[in-house]
Amino acid sequence: MSSPNGSVPASNRRLETFTYDDQIVKWFVIATVIWGAVALLLGVTVAFQLADWRVNLGLPWTTFGRLRPLHTNAAIFAFCGNAIFAGIYYSHQRLLKARLFNDILSRVHFWGWQFIIILAAITLPLGMTTGKEYAELEWPIDILITLIWVVFAVNFFGTIVRRRERHIYVAIWFYIATIITVAVLHIVNSVELPVTLTKSYSLYSGVQDALVQWWYGHNAVAFFLTTPFLGLMYYFVPKAANRPVYSYRLSIIHFWSLVFIYIWAGPHHLLYTTLPEWAQTLGMVFSVALWMPSWGGMINGLMTLRGVWDKVRTEPGLRFMATSLTFYGMSTFEGPLLSIKSVNSIAHFTDWIPGHVHSGTIGWNYMLIAGILFYLVPKLWNTELYSKRLANIQFWLATVGLLFYVISMLVAGITQSLMWRAMDDAGRLIYPNFIETVIKIVPMYWVRAIGGTLVLISFILMIINLYRTAKKGKSGPEAVYEAYALDDYSLEAGAAAHRKLEGWPMIFAVLSLIAILVGSAIEIVPSLMSDNYITKISAIKPYSPLELYGRDVYIREGCYLCHSQTVRAIPHEVIRYGKASEAAEFVYDHPFQWGSKRTGPDLARVGKKYPHMWHYKHFYDPREVTAGSIMPNYKWLFDKKIDYSTLPKKMAVMKQLGVPYTDDEVVTSVVNAKAQAVEIAGELAQSGVPQKIVEMEVVALISYMQRLGVDYTSMPEEEAPVAEADVK
Amino acid sequence: MSDSIKKETKLDVKPDEQHLLLDHAYDDIQELNHPLPSWWNVTWGITIVFAIGYFVYYQFMKGPTLRDEFNQEYSKIVAIQEEFRIQNSAFNQEYYAGITSNDGVTKGAVVYENNCLPCHNENGKGDIGPNLTDDHWLIAKSTPETIYNVVFNGSEENGMPAWAELLTKDEIYQAVAYVSTFKNTFVKGGKEPQGIKIED
Repeated sequence: MSSPNGSVPASNRRLETFTYDDQIVKWFVIATVIWGAVALLLGVTVAFQLADWRVNLGLPWTTFGRLRPLHTNAAIFAFCGNAIFAGIYYSHQRLLKARLFNDILSRVHFWGWQFIIILAAITLPLGMTTGKEYAELEWPIDILITLIWVVFAVNFFGTIVRRRERHIYVAIWFYIATIITVAVLHIVNSVELPVTLTKSYSLYSGVQDALVQWWYGHNAVAFFLTTPFLGLMYYFVPKAANRPVYSYRLSIIHFWSLVFIYIWAGPHHLLYTTLPEWAQTLGMVFSVALWMPSWGGMINGLMTLRGVWDKVRTEPGLRFMATSLTFYGMSTFEGPLLSIKSVNSIAHFTDWIPGHVHSGTIGWNYMLIAGILFYLVPKLWNTELYSKRLANIQFWLATVGLLFYVISMLVAGITQSLMWRAMDDAGRLIYPNFIETVIKIVPMYWVRAIGGTLVLISFILMIINLYRTAKKGKSGPEAVYEAYALDDYSLEAGAAAHRKLEGWPMIFAVLSLIAILVGSAIEIVPSLMSDNYITKISAIKPYSPLELYGRDVYIREGCYLCHSQTVRAIPHEVIRYGKASEAAEFVYDHPFQWGSKRTGPDLARVGKKYPHMWHYKHFYDPREVTAGSIMPNYKWLFDKKIDYSTLPKKMAVMKQLGVPYTDDEVVTSVVNAKAQAVEIAGELAQSGVPQKIVEMEVVALISYMQRLGVDYTSMPEEEAPVAEADVK
Repeated sequence: MSDSIKKETKLDVKPDEQHLLLDHAYDDIQELNHPLPSWWNVTWGITIVFAIGYFVYYQFMKGPTLRDEFNQEYSKIVAIQEEFRIQNSAFNQEYYAGITSNDGVTKGAVVYENNCLPCHNENGKGDIGPNLTDDHWLIAKSTPETIYNVVFNGSEENGMPAWAELLTKDEIYQAVAYVSTFKNTFVKGGKEPQGIKIED
């Protein structure tokens, strides 16, 4: 078959010479390994903190609640982020036969992203957080992320415009979906009203905030940890194996189905909560239907290795890639399984979930990154890998460490969940004290921490290996490439529809945007439009100024990372904690604080359950009231004074967000808060607490604790189920 | 052009898949065009049918909601709890005697340590909860019967949990037996008296 445009004389074709910007790829590679080590070190630190509370060191900025967001942000956005940029910038240029659009943009992208990471590393330990998982960074950083992402997008699409290859390869399809969707997710979930430079409140509240947050949270997994890595897989696996990709047809089907279906799956994080049930059900059934599209990627990756499995044994890069694809397959089977309601009722809030997540992040992301780096670093530095033996040791340490992690967390999760629900024949919980169920699984926390340490060591071995490789590398003259400018020669007459689409990248981008907007709109728009989305209850009142302040302390210390605030409508849960939560209870919660993990008990009904003195002692040293508790001490709350200066502003912002505070309440907020503090301190004084406590943050936090769930549980019975359809 | 790509490929293409090799290449990456695996097609089809069926049944065909299922299950448990409460809410002097004569105080000390200690402190000297060693009482009136009543039902305004929801019948009786030994021991360093004085 000859070119359909044979009529064009070959002499009219313009042969161009060009180079690739590999310097920027090298920078991103270096950033990847540095931040990867930091992220893993943080992970190991928080793992040991769960095994032994003393590892929290008693300092605010070293305590679990502040380091855990740093770990997740570092792992996702610093480690995986830099790896994505390295891999995309390397492959994108080659797949399009074009140098990156603009060298300056590339550098702005690089330094901007590193600057964001450093800001995160400073602000998160200082307790500056929005309180939304994986989106903790405060509003100025959110804006910066948006800007840098736009720089990346312009650089990426600009390169497409200047391409010398008409059709875009499947890797680029995935890159496009990533860039578009991450932008949409980040912007929609980060809409917040600033109070100060370092503090803001989410535009959304309660159920709505939960829905938007988990639409974001789940799709951060989908479009930051999955689609870009599938794209990288499509470039680096066939390259490293020197094999053709298994099935083009499968690429098309699994790309579009993955992108279209994934976006719907978020509500599976909110099963049995007060999210309307139709949305929960959508989240579940789309997760189930996502199983095979996910496996499409695994099949295409693993089957590409057909016939070269001997190389998988001998080539470390390929071995890491094959293993990562296997873990990808495992966790994308586990995901749909966990999203089935009845399975979820057991697994949710337990350690099974971090186990599941890490089989993805360590098994899929780290292993694939390792595979890519073993291919990339020798190529970039023009040499051979320093030591295959070292890479093999790294491989076994990482694999064994990961298995320790996943298995210990599976055991811990199921054990604890069964203890939570165990009941005797008089209808009583067999383990009514939550702490019993914690003490039982602490040994598993040790196993996990050791597993994590092995993974960290494996990573350090990789850094040594890559460093030695780069060091012996030699930089020859920059390679110059030749290709024809894009011309009519590459037009294919009678090409199939999708083949044509591959020649229209901008239309391709628009179509992927539409694919992700369908599910997003159907799930989220009703919550924004309808007044009847939740049934309102008039007994639910906004927080008092002091309680609002206490709530911000709760968010700052990252309490939501270990405590949930929503009682699911499941019998053992209602028996343990109290009445099942209602959607109306959360309407003033900007942001929502339902949490995703119960390392400690749920707090939705903790108000008035204990005297103030109990909380006082508990925050000072939890072990004084709960023997065996693994919660850190919060002693700094006992000598950190309440900062009343921003309180009126906080109230005013809440009012702007729709919380029905009167102007008068905003103006008198400080007086009001001080009066409530005096009241609490007075009661504490009866147990001999010195009067100066009245000025301290712990009092505000206690006031918040004592308010939780109280409006609803103290409401007269007959008011309870009444729906007030037109409450304004 | 395409023929040359196929012929000149440097990739490791197996003889049985030569005919599946497509005529395009990107940075020397080529693609085969294997058909979709049939097990993959079938499994995906099943999950889609399941998804549609599940959604339709629960959203449009009056399948029970999660709240319906919860209410049904929960009401059964509540009935069992109610039964227990009715049978045991009254203090049974005979049963108490049986417990005390069977090492009740020693066993009660263990129950106390695991459940009551955080608030009532060692030897009942009081802390978050009241001093149990003096002659002042808030709700209970010094007798095992009245103590049983407070332990069993709790006291919401004083922050005392209803232990009937947490402890077994025997454990409650044992705890009462142990707490009764504190009476008028006036332990040193005890909390200030609360409530009214009861003489006996």
